[in-house]
Amino acid sequence: MSALIQLKNVKKTYKRGKESITIFDGLNLTIEQGDFVAIMGPSGSGKTTLLNLLGGTDRSDSGEINFDGERIDGYNEGQLAGWRARSVGFIFQFYNLMPVLNAAQNVELPLMLTKLSAGKRRANVETALKIVGLWDRAKHRPKELSGGQQQRVAIARAIVSDPKFLLCDEPTGDLDRNTANDILGTLQQLNQEMGKTIVMVTHDPEAARFAKRTLHLDKGVFAEVTQ
Amino acid sequence: MTDLDLVWKNLFRKPLRTILLTVSIFMAFLIFGILTSLNVALDRATESGSASNRLVVSNKINFTQSMPYAYINRVAAIPGVTAVTYQNWFGAYYQDQRASRFVGFAVDPETYMAIFRDEARLTDAERKAFLSERTGVIVGKSLADRYGWKVGQTIPISSNIYSQANGRRSWDMKISGIFTGAKPTDPTTAIYFHYDYMNETITFNRDQVGTITVVTASPDQNDQVAKAIDANFANSPAETSTVDEKTFSRAFLKQAGDLNFIVTMVVSAAFAAILMIVSTTLVSAMRERTKEIGVMKTLGFSSPRVLRMVLGEAVLLSSLGAVLGLGTSAFILTGLSKSPVGSSFGDLSMSPVVALSGLALAVSLGLVTGAVPALSALRMSIIEALNRG
Amino acid sequence: MSLLNQTGSVIAMNVRSIPQRLWMSLATVGSIALVVAVLLGFLALANGFNQTLKGSGAPDVAIALRDGAASELNSVVSREQIDLLGQGPGVRAGPDGRPLISAELVLIVDGIKKSTDTKANMPLRGIGPNGLLVRPQAKITQGRMFTPGSNEIVVGAGLLREFSGFELGKTLRFGAQTWKVVGVFEAPGTVFESELWADAPVIQSLFKRGSTFQTARIGLTSPAAMPAFVAYVKKEQRLQLKAQSEQTYFADQAERSGLIIKYFGWPLGIIMAIGALAGALNTMYASVSSRAAEIATLRVIGFSGFSAFIGTMVEALVLSALGALVGVAICALGFNGLSASTLGAGFTQVAFRLQIGPDIITQAVTLALIIGLIGGIFPGLRASQQRPLLALAT
Repeated sequence: MSALIQLKNVKKTYKRGKESITIFDGLNLTIEQGDFVAIMGPSGSGKTTLLNLLGGTDRSDSGEINFDGERIDGYNEGQLAGWRARSVGFIFQFYNLMPVLNAAQNVELPLMLTKLSAGKRRANVETALKIVGLWDRAKHRPKELSGGQQQRVAIARAIVSDPKFLLCDEPTGDLDRNTANDILGTLQQLNQEMGKTIVMVTHDPEAARFAKRTLHLDKGVFAEVTQ
Repeated sequence: MTDLDLVWKNLFRKPLRTILLTVSIFMAFLIFGILTSLNVALDRATESGSASNRLVVSNKINFTQSMPYAYINRVAAIPGVTAVTYQNWFGAYYQDQRASRFVGFAVDPETYMAIFRDEARLTDAERKAFLSERTGVIVGKSLADRYGWKVGQTIPISSNIYSQANGRRSWDMKISGIFTGAKPTDPTTAIYFHYDYMNETITFNRDQVGTITVVTASPDQNDQVAKAIDANFANSPAETSTVDEKTFSRAFLKQAGDLNFIVTMVVSAAFAAILMIVSTTLVSAMRERTKEIGVMKTLGFSSPRVLRMVLGEAVLLSSLGAVLGLGTSAFILTGLSKSPVGSSFGDLSMSPVVALSGLALAVSLGLVTGAVPALSALRMSIIEALNRG
Repeated sequence: MSLLNQTGSVIAMNVRSIPQRLWMSLATVGSIALVVAVLLGFLALANGFNQTLKGSGAPDVAIALRDGAASELNSVVSREQIDLLGQGPGVRAGPDGRPLISAELVLIVDGIKKSTDTKANMPLRGIGPNGLLVRPQAKITQGRMFTPGSNEIVVGAGLLREFSGFELGKTLRFGAQTWKVVGVFEAPGTVFESELWADAPVIQSLFKRGSTFQTARIGLTSPAAMPAFVAYVKKEQRLQLKAQSEQTYFADQAERSGLIIKYFGWPLGIIMAIGALAGALNTMYASVSSRAAEIATLRVIGFSGFSAFIGTMVEALVLSALGALVGVAICALGFNGLSASTLGAGFTQVAFRLQIGPDIITQAVTLALIIGLIGGIFPGLRASQQRPLLALAT
């Protein structure tokens, strides 16, 4: 297996008022192609910052971030946006679907960033919604769907453009246990059957159990717990 | 799904809000459409019936003061003048002095019809009849329609200035013809009759003419001819003032008041009001959507693309209101053109220039009202956007 | 808690929350202010013009015109008719002991309208010594009165304000004659202030009017003498004139000019008001939805739906009242007293000042409050229908 993501000596400092807070000072992390990593840690440990760096929604102060052979740390905002559209599928705690769009349209959203034909788009949307088992709800608006269903639509949205990498931020944080397990099962399936590399930030040890390995982040430093 | 679909769906996120905003914009464009068209029609009224090589000679004291009849031949003799005709304001009305006044001039039929052949279009038979009938009158089509006048009919035309030597206030005139304008948009609400018929019967101001129309060899000679005419009558009891037709009618219209100024003020006030309403509402609407914009950016929509969508939404909104407003005003103007008050302006219907400038205004309005929310969407950082709400 | 107390505290909460929607609320206030300003502008224009006409007529002065003439310009009155008028009942005697009659004639000369720089019609009125006696409002404020028999002119202050060409000391040419402006007179709030005055016999001879006049103004002993005098003129076959009180004459002209409001001001004001109403509704709906949780909580505690309705209503009315206030202020500071001119019934320019009065302010403020009322009712109903618990979940 080869590394999909490599962080080398990454530094990140935030300014809060006049104070500057160092989150990472020389962070190293390698995530292999096809891995499913859960990241846990107390609040303030740097989980969210790590998520933003991995997703290209924030930039490091120094160090290298490699993704599948690309150095994304030097990218400007526009290049990062293009990279995110190509390479990353995002799944959020509160689903973040567009309320004015129905399920199919929400799933189609990332395809607006591609040059695919209308027919091909429809086909991709259908495939993605069938994978999450919600094709029969394609015309429903988010508020007509349950929390679990909304998160499935969000997963379909994340995989519709077939990115290699899925980034999940507390994907089950807003769901009951059974629904959460369903969602986590789907993620596991995507990892095992479709080879998606997944990084999932979570508070929930039960959720972490679905991952191949769990990293504990504390004050910007990793301690690995292998399952 | 295209960006436009997305913009459209966002626009109608809260239908009531969008409908109310559309109503506001609609009303402003209604005002714009109607007032600007009235203004244009009024401008056109001064242009129609004025030719670039025609001058108007009037008494320098004021155009209501007359000039001696002998001036006609003296003007005609001035180098550069190719034709002259003359007319006297009659203060014409039909039966009711207050409600049915219209433009009425006593003219010299032969020279008048030669010079104003295009402005007052008649058939050859009508023209012949007008020349041969001493009490003949030609009436504009709009007037004929308003009062149901027919060719051959004799009508009593009264004057609020003159009365006849026999004590009568009205003159019986026989309709020789009904004229139409050069363009369908030209007003045809005037009557013209024989100067001689009036001159022989009035009790005072005989052998006087109101204004003299002069045709010059070419517009380049206008200034020179005008100066020559005025110089010819300098230091006489009736000095003259000679200007081109357009200047003459424009000065006359401006007497009522500066309509341009009023229209500009009212339209500005209406637009200032909707500018405030629409832009503040859009800012608050966009604030509700901060998180969604953050998500769009996270998915990889570039900031410029998000900016375009937000601006697009504002432009779409203002265009929607504008198209409805301009359409409705075009409809109202068509109706107004047919009313007695409106018909004296000629054709009021909306000109392409007004429609196009309205649409241009709509786009600018959209860009201005969308500017603040669009820029805040452009600058918004994903992290802040997602952390909010 | 009583309904009154409830409502009072809800109103206070509503009004205190306005700053949360500061910009939208300001836009509502601003747009209503503009509606009020535009309407008030038109009404002040019409009002100023009307007041000037109405202020010109005295109840104890009769004006006689040729029967059928709509304005002075189209009238002819002879010396003989003037003498006959003097024999009418109730005619006051002048200082010379003879009937107080001012025989006048008006002709139109060109001036230049300052605002548009175009030619405009100025009335040049020929009057005699009685001219000033039938117009007690008029006073020479600069220079002096013209000398009878000379080519001298005095000019109204209103005309000077709006038109150029007749400044004090200036020499004018009408035809072959030269005239000199020797004085300025004021007759505040009357049409006469938009006139040029000269000696009637001089005008008659220089403009070849023979011995004819156009109007006669007859001073009567009292307003009560008017009906008898009017009847006398009507009955006297040799006159063929129509007499009426100057007051009626100008009031009649003022009535016709009221069309400006009817055809322009009100429709525009109402169209703009609907536009502003839509804005106000948006603001109030935003207010109700932003306070949904608050209203629901109050309902849970036991506040009535009615208090929520009234709270929203009062907020809308406060915004529209503020708008009205700003609009009236814009007019009072920006337009009131502004000089303007238009073509009057006599085919000559009338200079007047835009005039705001209590009655037109009431009309404009009423329009603003109607916007506030309608703008508050529907959002208020929505607020009153807010279910006690439902909103807490959102």
